[in-house]
Parts: sequence; C-alpha cells; structure tokens
Amino acid sequence: MLREFVNTLSDPIISFPAITIAFYLMLKHYKIVGTKKFAYWTTAILIPVTVWFLADPNFFSIIKTPDNIPIIILLVLVGFFTWFWLYKAAENDTRIEAGLGPIEATPEEREKVWTWPNLVYTELFAMIACTAFLVVWAIIFKAPLEESANPTWAPNPAKAPWYFLGLQEMLVYFDPWMAGVVLPGLIVGGLIAVPYIDTNPKGNGYYTFKERKMAITAFLYGWLVLWVYLIIVGVFLRGPNWTFYGPFEFWDFHKVVASFNVNLSEIIWIKMLGVGLPKNLVLREIFGIILSLAYIIVIPPWFAKATKAGRKLFLSLGATRYHIFMFLVLMMTSLPIKMILRWLFSLKYIVALPEWELNL
Amino acid sequence: MSENKEPGMAYSMPKLHKVMAILSFIFFVTTVWMFLDDYIKPWKAIQIEALQIKRQHTEDALKAARKDIDAKKLAELNSSLAKGEEIVISRKKDIEKTEKELKVVQTKMKAQTIENGVFNGDVSAVNFQYETAVANHDHKLIEKKLEELTKLKAGFDIGKDNLKALQAQEKEISAKLLELYKEVVTSQKEIKDITMKVTLLEAAKATTDFNPIFALRNMPFLDYLDPTIKIQQLVINNVTDDRYFRQVPKVDRCTTCHTFIDQPGYEKEKQPFRTHPKLDLMVGLESKHPMKVTGCTACHGGEGQRVTDFASVAHTPDSPKQEQEWVKKYGWKAPHHIASPMFSRSQTEAGCVKCHSGVELIPGATVLNEGRMAIEKNGCYACHKIEGWGENKRKPGPSLLKIAGKVDKEWFKSWVWEPKSFNKHAKMPAFFRQSNNSKPEFVRLNVTEVNAIAEYVWDKSKPYAATETFRPGNAENGKKIISEVGCLGCHGVDGLEDQSNKVKAYAGPWLSGLGSKVQPDWLVTWLKKPNHYQEDTIMPSLRLTDGEANDIATYLLSLRNKSFEDLKFAKFDLKARDELLTDYLSAFDTQASAAAKVAKMNDREKTLDLGKRSIGKYGCFSCHNIEGFDGFAPIGPELTKEGSKPLTQFFFGIQHQVPHARDGWITAHLQNPRMWDIGIDKVFRDLNRMPNFYMNEAEAKKITVALLGQTSDVVPLAGRKRYSAGEALYNDAMKVAGKYNCMGCHQIDGLRGDILRSYADDINQGPPRLVGQGHRVQTDWLYHFLQSPTPIRPWLSIRMPTFNLSTEEKNKIVAGFQQGSKQPTFEEPQQVVQWEPGEREGAVKLWNAYNCVSCHSIGFTKDTPLAPDLHKAAKRLRPSWIKLWITNPQNILPGTTMPSFFGDDGKTPIEPGVFGGDAEKQINALTKYVLEFGL
Repeated sequence: MLREFVNTLSDPIISFPAITIAFYLMLKHYKIVGTKKFAYWTTAILIPVTVWFLADPNFFSIIKTPDNIPIIILLVLVGFFTWFWLYKAAENDTRIEAGLGPIEATPEEREKVWTWPNLVYTELFAMIACTAFLVVWAIIFKAPLEESANPTWAPNPAKAPWYFLGLQEMLVYFDPWMAGVVLPGLIVGGLIAVPYIDTNPKGNGYYTFKERKMAITAFLYGWLVLWVYLIIVGVFLRGPNWTFYGPFEFWDFHKVVASFNVNLSEIIWIKMLGVGLPKNLVLREIFGIILSLAYIIVIPPWFAKATKAGRKLFLSLGATRYHIFMFLVLMMTSLPIKMILRWLFSLKYIVALPEWELNL
Repeated sequence: MSENKEPGMAYSMPKLHKVMAILSFIFFVTTVWMFLDDYIKPWKAIQIEALQIKRQHTEDALKAARKDIDAKKLAELNSSLAKGEEIVISRKKDIEKTEKELKVVQTKMKAQTIENGVFNGDVSAVNFQYETAVANHDHKLIEKKLEELTKLKAGFDIGKDNLKALQAQEKEISAKLLELYKEVVTSQKEIKDITMKVTLLEAAKATTDFNPIFALRNMPFLDYLDPTIKIQQLVINNVTDDRYFRQVPKVDRCTTCHTFIDQPGYEKEKQPFRTHPKLDLMVGLESKHPMKVTGCTACHGGEGQRVTDFASVAHTPDSPKQEQEWVKKYGWKAPHHIASPMFSRSQTEAGCVKCHSGVELIPGATVLNEGRMAIEKNGCYACHKIEGWGENKRKPGPSLLKIAGKVDKEWFKSWVWEPKSFNKHAKMPAFFRQSNNSKPEFVRLNVTEVNAIAEYVWDKSKPYAATETFRPGNAENGKKIISEVGCLGCHGVDGLEDQSNKVKAYAGPWLSGLGSKVQPDWLVTWLKKPNHYQEDTIMPSLRLTDGEANDIATYLLSLRNKSFEDLKFAKFDLKARDELLTDYLSAFDTQASAAAKVAKMNDREKTLDLGKRSIGKYGCFSCHNIEGFDGFAPIGPELTKEGSKPLTQFFFGIQHQVPHARDGWITAHLQNPRMWDIGIDKVFRDLNRMPNFYMNEAEAKKITVALLGQTSDVVPLAGRKRYSAGEALYNDAMKVAGKYNCMGCHQIDGLRGDILRSYADDINQGPPRLVGQGHRVQTDWLYHFLQSPTPIRPWLSIRMPTFNLSTEEKNKIVAGFQQGSKQPTFEEPQQVVQWEPGEREGAVKLWNAYNCVSCHSIGFTKDTPLAPDLHKAAKRLRPSWIKLWITNPQNILPGTTMPSFFGDDGKTPIEPGVFGGDAEKQINALTKYVLEFGL
C-alpha cells in the first residue's frame, strides 16, 4: 500500500514538480536547512527509510547492480556537499548580516602555509587512498560480462553510461537532435560562458548564498533538478522499453504504458479549428514557430522592461551579457516546460518539421 | 591545530607521517589482495586435484606393471649382464685402442666437414659472380671467374670424397667396438624390453611431483613463463561462433577443468574429472568426433571460452534436483545474458542437428530420433515447416476428397469436435473444448464453425462407390489375421492391446470403434485395394483374399463406440454463422458494410464461405487433402530455427510456473498449447489455435530435444557432415522407407523394426531384419520384389505388403540400399557355375554333411521349410553375400537360425575332412553349389 504510494509518487509527473518545490523550499529556508540539527534529523529519518527501501527485493536488485553503485555514491556525496555548502553559507550570511564578514576572512584563516608538505603531501594521501579504494571496488564488484554485442539485437533497456542518463532522459521529451546535440552543446557552451557573464565580484573565496542568489539558484536548479534528478530517474526508474517503473515495481518486460502524443499543429488545426493540416510546411507549423520565436525573442526584452528584477539585471549585466544569459536560462527552462506540456497535453512537438529534421 | 605546529605549517608533520604510514599499509594490503584475487582461480584448485588423481592412477598402473615383471627372468638377465660385463672388462685393452682410433677418425671427420663447408660457400659465391659476369658479357671477368670456380669445385669434390672415406672408416670401427661390447649390449636390451613400461610410468609419475620446480613454475609473477597449472584450450576451426558480421573459430577451454575427458580410465572419477561416457563416438582420438576437431561446445553449447567459475559457462542442470545440488555445491545461477546456454545432459543430442542436416534419423542419437519420430507421429511438420528433414513429407491425415463415401456427416462433426471421445488413441488433436475456448459464447461459435466445415467438406467431396461388398465373416479369424499378417506394424487395434502396446505403431491410426464409423463396403474395398479410395495413401495391400478381407472387416466392424453413436451434434446456428462471416469480412471493412455484404450472399454461399474460412483458420488442409486448398501455405510458424529463437519472443502469458527457458516453454506448449491464453482477455478470432495433442511429458521432452537442435548456427562446410553421393542416395532411400513406414516391420541397419518387439521370444518369426540389404540382394530382384512381392519365407505368417510405390521411389530404395552397403549395381553376371576339378564332389559332401536341406527343404524334401528356398537364391542373392553369410551368419543377423559352420572366426570348419579343412575353399564350393540350383 505504502509501496504503491511511493511508486506513484516517483512518477516524473509528480516527482518532478515535487522536487522543484522542494528545491525552492530548500533555498528559501536555507538557514534552517543549513544547520547541524537539520542534518541530524534528516539522517535519522533517512536511515530507516533507506533500510525499508532496501528490504524490497525489486528495489534491492536495481541497487545492487554493479553499474549502479557509482550513482549511489554520487547521491550520498551530492546530498552531503549540498548541505555542507548550505551550512557554510548560512553561517557566513548570518555573520555578514551582523557585519562580521565571512569566516574565511578572519585573520587566522588568512594565514599562509607552505605548499610542501601542506598541499602536496596531502594530495599524495588523497591519491593513495583513492587508488586503494578503486582497487578494492574493482575486486569486489566485477565488471559485468554480458553477451557478445549484437548490432541487430539491442539490450532492453539500452542505457547510456550513468553520467549520460540525464541526457537520455531528455530524449523522452525532445527530438534526438535537440536532446542529443543542441542542448548538451548549450550546456557546455553555457558553462564556459559563465565567468564572462557573471559580473558579481562577491562570494569570492568564501561561502555565501545571499550575495549571489541568482547565480547559485540558476546553477543549482540545472545541476540538482535537471541533471542529478534526471540521472536518478534514468537509472532507477526507467526499465525495459524505457518505461517508467516505480522503485518497488518489478521490471516486467511486458509492461505497457499508454501514450499517444500529438503535435501542436495537429492540436490547433485539427482538434481546435477542425480543418485539415495545411500543405505548406511553414503555414502548418506557424503557431509553433511563432510561439518558439516569441519565447526566445520576446521574453528577454519584455522581462528587462516590464519587471523590476529584469531591469536591475539588465542594468548590472549590460545588453550583450543580459541577452546571452537570458538565452541560456530560457533554453534551460525549456526542458521543464516541455515536460509539463507533455504531461498536460500529450504534446509531442511544438514545431514538428521532420521534413527538415527540425522538431522542437 | 596542535601546539607543536611549526610556523608556515597547517598540520603537524609527525601526524602527517602517521597518516602516510597508515595509508601506505592499506595500499600495500589492497595491492597484495589484488594479486591474490588475480592469482587464485577456481580452475587452479581443480587442476591440482586432477594432478593428484593422475598421480594415484599412475601409481596404481605402476604397481600393476611391477607385478607383471617376471622377477626370475629379470634376475637371470641381470646375472648374464654381470657375466657379460666381466667378459668385456677382459677386453679392456682392445676396447681402449679401438675407442682411441674412433676418436681420431671422428676428429678428422669434423675437420673435413668444416673444410667442405667453406668450399661449399665459396663455390656458391663464385658461381654467382661468374653467372653475373656471363650476364654482363664481361669476357675478361668470365675467364677469371671460370678458372677460380673450376679450381674450387675440384677442391670441393676431393673434400667430399675424403669425408665419404672417413665415414666408411668410422662405421667399420664402430662395428668393431660394438662387437667388443656384445655381451653387455644384448643383455641390456632385453632388460630394457621388460622394464620399459615401468620406466615410462615412473617418468609419468615424476611429472605429477609437487617439487620446488613445480612451485617455481606456478609461482605468482613467474607463472607467465612456463606454468604447468594453466588454462587449456582447443581452437576449433571448423565450427565457428557467430560474433555478428564475423564467424570466429570456436575456442573451448572446457578441458581446463574436464582434465581427463579424452582419456580412458577415469570413468569412475567424480566430475569434472570423469572420462567422456561415449569415448568411442565422441572426443576419443579414434572416434568420429575427435576432441581436437569437434571440441566441446560445438555439441554441448554453452560458453566455451569462459573459465571464470562454474556458473559463467552456462552449465544447465538436467533436473530440479540437480539444480539444487549445483546451487549448493557450486553456487550455480541461472545463466543471464547468454543467448544459447548449454544443453542439459538429456538434451545434448540436440547438438547433433546443426552439423548433421538433411538426414532423417541420426545413428546413435536415440532421444533426438525418438523426438523426430514423435514429430512424425503427431504430424507437427504438416503445419510447421522444419527445414533440413521435415519437408516434402506426406500429409499426416487421411484425404477428405471422397470422405462422404467413407463416413457419416454426423459422425464427422462429433469426431472433429472431440476426436478422443471416439477413440482415446486418436492422433487427431483437439481444437475444441480447450481451456481458452470453453466459454459458452465461444462454444457457440466453435459449434458453428464445425458445422460449416462439415458442410464445406461434404459439398466438395467427390462421389465414391465401393467396388467390394461386405459379406459378414468370422470375426475371430479376422482378429487372428490382423494379429499375424502385419497390420500391427502400422496400426494399434482394439482387442489386441497387448501386442499393440508392445509395437507402439504410429504410421496408421489405432483401429477402434470402426463399426460406428465407416460404411462396411468401404472398409472391405479399402482393405483389398487402399489406393482405390485414396490414390496417395501409404496403406499397402496385403493381398488379402475376399474371405480374409471380410473376416477382418467383420472383426473391425464389431468394434463399436455406442455412446459416440448416440451423439447428436448441435444444429447449425445460422445467426452465429452470419456473425462469424461478418467478423471475417470486417477485417478490412466497417461492420455495417460487412454485414451488408453477408446479407447479399445466399445461404449456401454463406455456409461454404464460412466452411472454407474455418478450414483455413484451423489449418485442417495442412494435414488433410481438401479441395480448394491447393497452394495454401501451412498455418504454423516455421520451426527451422526454433532453437535460436530469442527467449523474449516466447509468450509466457501469466504462466509463471513454466520454467523461463526455451525448453521449458516448448515442453509446456506441447502438453497444453492453449495455456498461454489463460487469464488473457482475447476476442474470439485471436484465440490461440494450436490444437491439443494431450501429449505426455516424456514425449513432449523428446520433441523439445528435436526442436532445440534446430538452431540458426552457421557451421562452415568443413565442419558439417557432408554426404557423399552414395550416402545421399542412402538417405533418400531411408526417407522413402520412412514415408511408407518400412521400419514399422523391418529393422533397417539397426534402426527401429517396431513390430519385432512383439516377437521377443523368437525374432526369426518376425519380418526379416535388413542389414546391408543392398549387399544381400540383387538389384533387379529387389526392384521386382518391391513391385510385386513373392514369399521368400513361406513359414512366416506375416506378409510383405504390396506398396503403392512410384518407379522413382522404388529406384531410390534400390540404389540407396546398394550405396548404403557400398555395392556396385551389378556383380559379375554368372551364367554358368565354373567348377574346379573335384570341387563339385566336395561341395556335395559338404551339402550333405552340413545337412542344408533339413531347413532349406523346399524342392528337396517334403519337410516344412524353416529357411528360404535355395532354388531362388541365384536370382535373388549376391554371390559375395552368400559367401559372407555362410562364413558367419551371426555376424550379420545375431540370433538367426542359420548355423555357423566355420566357427566364430569363419576359418575353422566343423567338417575338416573336405578340401583339407580349408574354410575358404569349402565356402566357395558351397556358394557355387547353391548358385547352380538357380542358374
């Protein structure tokens, strides 16, 4: 019963908005989240919950797959470091509010020490410890050996390496050209562009949230919700045929999920207007094209003019930086928008031009 | 941090060193662990155990060998050796002198060899320079080089000559030396002859020593050089693994653990050390499938390259019990990610198929053959194409082209509805009253279909008039005739259950309740002349007299199934008929327009249309000849590659109790094909249609083996069994023999001979076994005999029937049998027997002495014959076979009544007085004598 409830909750339709709300709450109340008390309570609750999860044979069989072990390590580390940053930032922000400045700026923290042995020696420790850890890991969890690769008979589910599963999850919502080429390209390009866009000199060398609210929110949303969360979905909740399976659900090869997706042009021309699809391709997709262009072209100037925050941002960044930044943010938010449209309207493509290999 | 921190330091140095020490230790431990993990492998322990087993066996053999040595003789030899040594010592001076001479000569030879070698090189080099000069027309150089070359060649010739002289000298001196040592050498050689086996075994035992050298060779780090404990592998070039887009030779490492698989003497060891159980056929060096050529996984399947552990090679347990045992003993796990796991032990014969294709029965593959016979019996091949051996076979069911002349329509419907309720032995499978179509709404439609089928078949049935009239005769006599003349070779018969169950005949139907089924006149006509009713029937004529035929018919008609007779089949539901037709037509049309189309048809059209569609739906035409279905493809999926069909393509439905494996599915499917529909919501037209044969598990498992062998594996031509022209002809002959069920009566070259099972007490009362038949009989005779058999053994009550063989089929049998026995078409034609002087008199003496006429009495005495008429032998038998037969009949037909006159070796006549006891001469004379009668 409870398990079925968890299974239902895990479906991206519910879990994605839930995780977004949780993300918002975490940042809004970061001073509560970033306390040791909060960490202790969370750990105390999470341990029995984890044990309960592990007691389920279906969940356990997914977890124990050698491929999935790095992801579990990743989850624990991401959780810890996110909290650790919040803790440090909350501490500093409280000090800054009190006019004390961050801890990192105190005289004792600013003292200089020798590179050798303080840095180099400890780096060597890390190397040795890491190598020993990897050796033990390799001994205990053998590389899984499967059947010889057959190009005419793909394994099902065919999964990318774990670090690409977020991208693979995007394939559910986007055309391969977008999910596989354009968006990953923008992620890389955007990350490279960050130092040139970010003009905020604060937060250098110390933890803070208050002084870099927007930068941190934008980055963490992309990282935690649009990347890590999608990896979790891709690893643990996608089974044969890339169908969704709850964490306690048996990966039944024959599970069928009803989905019949329709293009925006079909919704408007056929369902709403009741006329056939126009022959002309551009005319046929005109609504999608207008919407997409409006999304990219109209929103940034409107945001800069009509809202206070936008005006402030525009002024602090300057026109070029502002437009690049807005473009990147809009591309990032296109993913959740597309997900929601899919769930609400079974929308396949906003612009469907397979004739030009252009599907948005 | 701590107080002993130096300036410019974040940490205290001694503390850092401590951390370093701990980390180094951990790193050291993990490194050692890594090497050990790499070094300690399960197969190494097995090889060490194998070494101990081998040592034990060698020691046992050594003990036995030592016992075998004649101690007394050895002592004698040793003393004569001592004596010899004394004598040799007395010649010490001579020996020393001769040895010195030998050494001088050998030194000279060595010097001469070096000199010759230099000459040889020089001659070749100068020769090249000379030839170059000739090619360049450099006359000056030519002269110079020619001179040089001539000189060198002369020197080389002298050197070679010198060497020959020295060699002769050496030989002479050596012989002299040997003469001086003579006494010792002789004794030594004799001692060596006796003790050789022991010496060899001792050497073998030494290879199993656990000594420092063994330890060194197998030490970690050093074991890459020349270890004794190592992975063994066979590379099988003639059988390949499909690595997609590339066929790679098979690599089998099974012998890494199955250490003695090819060595006799380890039959009683536990696994994996046991010898192969069929060494004479498989794996053995002398067998047809030597290990180095065939390997292991070519037949057994599985992952031959893996030696990781027991489970990884995909060993497959044979029973749940074995599975439990393996789980406990080896930590066995069901293989994942392996397309073709190993065949379980009882299924191993499936591995024969991929190399032995195009042959009906494979000698030695008992289970596989039984599986194929079961497929033959049930007629699976009619609906499912099985390439390689199942094609071009007759339709397993009787023709329905003239059915109206044979049975009653009402009977037909009840029979189709549930064949087993009429005859529990019925081979016709059940289509109706199954787990997936027993809902009332489905039954209503099924009944309608059966009615429509009957209407269609009767509408198309051609008129038939019986040529004979039934006159009631003696049923008891009829029963006796049935049991004696050979009917039971193909039919089981009610009332003769004992015999029938022994024979297990399957070519024809089990005869039961005929009185409730067929028209009497039809039955008599059928018995007398089967092809009058069905032209292509395999039912032969037994040349019954009118009396016999009527007696048999009387008996068969007395078998009745009263309760079945009373059955009244449900009335034709015309509404259901129209519904079904509408459903068919709406496949490509709307319901309304389909209904309109149906409404436009007249009554007869509707009935016949539904009848034809139903016959097509259930595939009746696959087994029965029905008009209107020429060129229709059989309805079942092809099974040619069933053994390689991916597991994901098998539909298990919700039958979780069925083992999730190919064999598990096939076996379950054969036992109840409709089970997959259970719990699945399906509309009428989508219901599973495979009929239920009510097969028992044993039979289903045999068929499973036959089907598992049908893989898509591509075996290179060199690895496949390729039939010579002769073998191919023999195969063709066996196919014809299979079609007409010859082997229901005759055992052919050791295969089948079903009816012989009811002649267990005297095999000679049964139909003759055919061994090397192509050698036994003459070509012409066999051809004519097949056409119109004449009795050879009048004392037998069983008869050779007259088959309705085509000329081609007769020729196939004749030619194939000849080729099977590797015989030419004709032996030297013998018109007159040529006697040597005095030979005929000898032959007559032998004839009388061996009292041939006591059995071969026909034409000689009035006694009841117990052996064939020898007057016919000359035209029937091949002379070379007669000789072979006389020499040792038991060799050809074990248990024959023909006595052996020449002992087991065929060389010691029991009548030594004739021809001085020369067996060959006696046999020749007797053969000629026999031939003389007939020519």
